[in-house]
Amino acid sequence: MTNPNGFVIAAAITVFVGAYVLIATEWVHRVRAALGGAAVMFLIGATTGDEAFFSAETGVDWNVVLLLFGMMVVISVVKQTGLFDYLAIWAAKRAKGRPYRLLVLLCLITAGASALLDNVTTVLLMAPVTLLVCDRLGARPEMFLIAEALVSNIGGVGTLVGDPPNIIIGSRAPLSFNDFLVNLAPLAVLLVAVFLLLARFLFRKAYTVDEAKAENVMALDERQALGDPAMLRRVLAVLALIIAAFTVHSFLSLEPAVVALLGAGAMILVSRTSKEEFLQDVEWETLAFFIGLFVMVGALVNIGVIDWLAEQAVDAVGGRFLLAATVLLFGSAVISGVIDNIPYVATLTPLVATLVASGSGPETAALWWALALGAGLGGNATAIGASANVVVTGIAAREGHPISFATFTRYGLVVTAVTVVISWPYLWLRYFVLA
Amino acid sequence: MLWVNGRALVPRVRPGVRVDHWTPPVLLDPVGRVLVVRARDLMEDFPLVRRGTDALEATRLLVARGLPGLVVLDEAGVPLVVLPDSQVLRFALPEYVEDDPTLADVFPEGEADRLCEGLAGHTVAELMPGKAYLPKRDRDRPIVAPRATVMQIASVMSRQKSPIVAVVDEGAVLGVITVHRLLGAVLPPE
Repeated sequence: MTNPNGFVIAAAITVFVGAYVLIATEWVHRVRAALGGAAVMFLIGATTGDEAFFSAETGVDWNVVLLLFGMMVVISVVKQTGLFDYLAIWAAKRAKGRPYRLLVLLCLITAGASALLDNVTTVLLMAPVTLLVCDRLGARPEMFLIAEALVSNIGGVGTLVGDPPNIIIGSRAPLSFNDFLVNLAPLAVLLVAVFLLLARFLFRKAYTVDEAKAENVMALDERQALGDPAMLRRVLAVLALIIAAFTVHSFLSLEPAVVALLGAGAMILVSRTSKEEFLQDVEWETLAFFIGLFVMVGALVNIGVIDWLAEQAVDAVGGRFLLAATVLLFGSAVISGVIDNIPYVATLTPLVATLVASGSGPETAALWWALALGAGLGGNATAIGASANVVVTGIAAREGHPISFATFTRYGLVVTAVTVVISWPYLWLRYFVLA
Repeated sequence: MLWVNGRALVPRVRPGVRVDHWTPPVLLDPVGRVLVVRARDLMEDFPLVRRGTDALEATRLLVARGLPGLVVLDEAGVPLVVLPDSQVLRFALPEYVEDDPTLADVFPEGEADRLCEGLAGHTVAELMPGKAYLPKRDRDRPIVAPRATVMQIASVMSRQKSPIVAVVDEGAVLGVITVHRLLGAVLPPE
């Protein structure tokens, strides 16, 4: 847009801040707030149809929306196989009723799954079977559920497709699946290991299980969870192909969204699931939320607000990228603990892109990783910091095992502090000292 | 003379309607004309439970009488809500099995008798799924007046997705009408 007038700028900022407040406070459903804000951006002339729908810089990032959609379809099909129920019950049997071992195995499955699947989906897959195992053991499931939510957020940080903020960062930076795998996955593995050690003490209340009840778990037949083993084999083969395609997508000149959509198509073909089945985990609300956010943030880019903020940020940083990475890591962690990290990352990516462009060398890339780590790990801080936390506390309450905000936060804050503090020396050593 | 609920049914004939081929259970007068059926003609005795009634006891009542649900009274003794049998089953089933039906397959055989363990120690109020389930206005209660017609009764049942409605007169429950009873009264024979 050429020279927007003062009214448009002031109105756009007001609309954006207003929508943000509504999203953060949940006074209005986040989809209503995002789409309503986007609609007002059109009405006041802060953006146009061309700019919102067809511009890579100021419009809806279709790579993000379609990558999410594709992975949601993939998840819908994988879910039909009963694979996660099988794995969790198998793990519970291996644990032989020993609660810490059970927690470690369940957390490892959760962390592994959340690296490839959305965190919310991962906990939705794991929570029912965790409740079953705890029920059979006579164990209190609250600590197991909290641990799974926390470790799903840690595991999700490690890959491009593990967490929606990573998908936004990957598309806007742009950074490939392998970039995430090389830069964040090793740290995610380390953080999961640290979390499991921490869990030995943090969740000790959960370790009062009557081990004699292990027989109840041993009586479960996990093979029955795999309804159609032939379908499972086909689905696993396609899943392996999707992962392989993600790792070579930059060599094949295929966008991650294209890989996800092709993978989703292949999943539908090999699984022969019905339309209702392969669309059942598509969260249309989330996709609409993303579209609304992109239009709002794009409008701010369009009228020059983000550029102005970025110039201020570049001046403030003045080439001190370690300071910028530190502020991004810790600042993002604090902010993501109290507001949804998706709108936060969507807003910050244009700013970080300008900061990255203002310098050169590996230390500039550290800014992207600091943002991803801060936003991903910060979500663990409170019961509302990440969608997975909200889902887990909701399930626990429905099952008669309510987890209060304070209880979740007591564990979440410790885990966030430890993981974020460990992330800082990783960034410092890897991108500033050893680079 | 037809008798319903031990009372003589006053034959009120729909003018001009003569349906010779209809046979009972459609309520006909002696010359084969369809009678105007009211709620008071269809109601039957039915056990009523209160919110504090033991869930297991209420379930036994359902099973012993082969009922499609239970009429739950409020503190004033007025029918508040109908608890369908499917909701009782839903409560007995662990929520995690409802969230993930695949888990039903992994239970060992021979543990089916544990299904109703989930009801022990609970009350009827706990079987009702949340506040959204309770009527917000009097017109949302599963009740009809004794003079309600078949169409009015069916409308209440359909609107409230309830297999039973209570017949209430001046706050007193006179009886209840089940879907089977209602349909049985108006279903044409094959």
